[in-house]
Amino acid sequence: MIRSITVAVLFCLGAAAVNFQNVAREAGLTDSIPNGGVQSKKYIIETTGSGAAFLDYDNDGLLDIFVVSGPGGTNRLYHNLGNGKFADVTKEMGLEHTGWGQGVCAGDFDNDGYTDLFVTYWGANVLYRNRAGRGFEDVTAKAGLTQDRVRYNTGCAFLDYDNDGHLDLFVANYLKFDFASTPKPGENSYCWYRDLPVACGPRGLPFDRNILYHNNGNGTFKDVSEASGIAKAEQNYALSVLTGDFNHDGFTDIYVASDQTPSILYINHGDGSFTDEALPRGAAFDDNGKALSGMGVAAADYDRDGWTDIFRSNFSDERETLYHNRGGAEFDDVTLAAGMALNTRFVGWGCGFLDIDNRGWKDLLLVNGHVFPEVDRLGIDVHYKDRAILYRNTGTGKFVDISESAGPGILEKHSARGAAFGDYDNDGAVEILINNQNEPPSLLKQSTKPAGNWVLLKLEGVKSNRSAIGARVRLIAGDLVQTDEVRSGGSYLSQNDLRLHFGVGTARRINRVEIDWPSGAHQVETDLDVNRVLTIREKPGS
Amino acid sequence: MMRATSALLLLSALLARAHDDSLQKGIAEFNRGQYADAQAWLEKAPDSPQRRTFLALTHAATGHCDTAREELAGEFAKDAASELGRLAGLALTQCLLAEGNYDDAGPVLARLRTLHPSDADVLYQCARLHMKAWNDTLYEMFRKTPNSYRVNQISAEIFEIQNRYPEAISEYRKAIEKNPAALNLHFRLGRALLLESHSPDNLVLARREFEAELTLNPADAAAEYETGQILLVSQAPEEAVKHFERAVAITPNFPEAMQALAKARLDAKQYPDAIILLENVVRLQPANESAHYSLMLAYRNAGRAADAAREQAELDKLQKSPQGEFTDFLKKLGEKAPKQ
Repeated sequence: MIRSITVAVLFCLGAAAVNFQNVAREAGLTDSIPNGGVQSKKYIIETTGSGAAFLDYDNDGLLDIFVVSGPGGTNRLYHNLGNGKFADVTKEMGLEHTGWGQGVCAGDFDNDGYTDLFVTYWGANVLYRNRAGRGFEDVTAKAGLTQDRVRYNTGCAFLDYDNDGHLDLFVANYLKFDFASTPKPGENSYCWYRDLPVACGPRGLPFDRNILYHNNGNGTFKDVSEASGIAKAEQNYALSVLTGDFNHDGFTDIYVASDQTPSILYINHGDGSFTDEALPRGAAFDDNGKALSGMGVAAADYDRDGWTDIFRSNFSDERETLYHNRGGAEFDDVTLAAGMALNTRFVGWGCGFLDIDNRGWKDLLLVNGHVFPEVDRLGIDVHYKDRAILYRNTGTGKFVDISESAGPGILEKHSARGAAFGDYDNDGAVEILINNQNEPPSLLKQSTKPAGNWVLLKLEGVKSNRSAIGARVRLIAGDLVQTDEVRSGGSYLSQNDLRLHFGVGTARRINRVEIDWPSGAHQVETDLDVNRVLTIREKPGS
Repeated sequence: MMRATSALLLLSALLARAHDDSLQKGIAEFNRGQYADAQAWLEKAPDSPQRRTFLALTHAATGHCDTAREELAGEFAKDAASELGRLAGLALTQCLLAEGNYDDAGPVLARLRTLHPSDADVLYQCARLHMKAWNDTLYEMFRKTPNSYRVNQISAEIFEIQNRYPEAISEYRKAIEKNPAALNLHFRLGRALLLESHSPDNLVLARREFEAELTLNPADAAAEYETGQILLVSQAPEEAVKHFERAVAITPNFPEAMQALAKARLDAKQYPDAIILLENVVRLQPANESAHYSLMLAYRNAGRAADAAREQAELDKLQKSPQGEFTDFLKKLGEKAPKQ
């Protein structure tokens, strides 16, 4: 009897309606974020857009919002007022900055308990040190992060690759670009799209290489790209960065979604060196051995087998890519088998796994929009502004596209780029912040609370880096066993909530939480409450 | 006397040198594309085979093919493998094409292509010849049989190449209406629908066309393969496999179908079966990057690390070649696998 009731409840949970609405205007996110041409784009720099971030900069327990801007405006920081509204605090927090802003990542690089920000640019990157939640200070030069030339920096992530307790920094580089030497639309064969002259590239433009900075532990960084082997991958148009210990050897690896070139999987050997092993490990190409136009990237153990899988968004006329980790960081492209092969008319960008109804299965959302506004002249089914896609995880290794019935927020059309995932009102439902080209951001929120129970884990490193980036969690609640990892960066040039969200269905208690800290400590917490934010501090020596 | 003889010799040497200079200057002007100056210098030069050939080349370049043709044909017949022979052959071809004399131009170009297989000018003239023949035939077809289904079919194929898929689809449908029993029309329509969009609606429509093709010709392996691909995307892998199996049974050396079948075997963790199929594909198509990639993963999944590494090395080599993009372009034209 109990069993049949459980089945019935689960069935109800599985069938629950989802209704996402864009609440950006009500929340106070009304300023348009400029990013290149509106009707047409002359250069590739106008097409790649910018990221967004959820972070709690003042440790008040509420996620704030940071949105990266192109020229013509400034990046913006919005403080979460706690009533569903946000206030623009950019100026008073010292974050006004103009330029070709690209990506953002967050982490407490100086272990002072406040989350710092790193913003990438075509131009000069900026490291902002968080001064106890009262303002941000540009410490780029002081930290030794000034670059000796203009670079097209894109995705970034803080990670502790050597587990020394200090967050290092990885920065992806797209290509070498300048306005003077880059050909104009139509000037060569790489400047056309379906008979339309369009912004040239990335093909035909010179490659650049990615950068790894080691945190010296004294507020400064050292470029170790050459010594670590990161610089060896130099035939890739690198965009988004995803970190994770994909082979469970205790060291953080780095995956980089690359445009029109093989994506990169830097395997961390634990001695300060990395090797790109994406090809033999099956994560470079699609299942036809073809390099796709990788844009955004997300990770989750979507099938709950204990191994972190990877999702990558791609260009139109390409499938999205779901790489299943068959163990030990060997991947199979299971896009077709997972039911994700139908949405080939979208250019995908920001993406993330989230449990929309707290059943304990990670669903997937990605945002879209073509790179060329000119494409709308063609009258085909590919559009500059397009809707998002929401896939429900059936729990059988397959996903079902429920976009059309997932509410107006999903169906709104924008040329979206960055997307960040986080629960800004701590109600157990994950919201999505989206950076749209030349429009105000979107803030997608479910109109009703998901039926399942949940928990948000805020981890705090002691011997490990304070942000706990790289900590791996195994959570057991009733029959549900889930894993996740704290990570910086991800999605498309964006930063998700550093806290880990778990839906636990009908479970009323969390039986067990096991944490593998970057320090090597293995910590176990038992019998925890659901439906709340739980802070777990590292117990060194555990 | 001696002095007078020396003077005469000197004079004749100077004259000879002046004539030589005329020839060299004529050739130089020809190479610079200054044909009027070239002609003036060459006409001053003493008669020689070289002078005659360059004069003929100059005439051909300025459109005076009547004057040039005989000399060019002679030079080409004498030594088509030499640089002068190559130039003569190319000029001769240009004259013949300008006159619309494709019958005579064809053999000249065929011989040039045999002797100079990687020469851009030779390949360019070959392309021109075929294009001209294509255009003329097409014109004739539209003029003499404007209402035939073949006119709709060829129109559809042209629209396809121009990425104008809705028009292509419409033309294929007209062709089918005129000749419902014609082979390959349903197949091409199915392909055009897929090129237009992979939306669920188009997948359903395309599948219907491939199935119609199979009704007309149950031995159409390509239609079996395409049906299988649609079923795969539509989450019907078991059904898809049956179509791939039939495609391979009909055409045992059909690489795409073998590879699709191999992937299904891989998904089912039947690694030895997958490996046999993929090894056959790379034997048939040693430059098939996709097959090498699948084989590498099959070896990896089967625990054959050394074989996987070998395939990876092979793949690395192949991926340096730019040929892939052109192959993709050809695939887009919807050509069936050879021997279909």
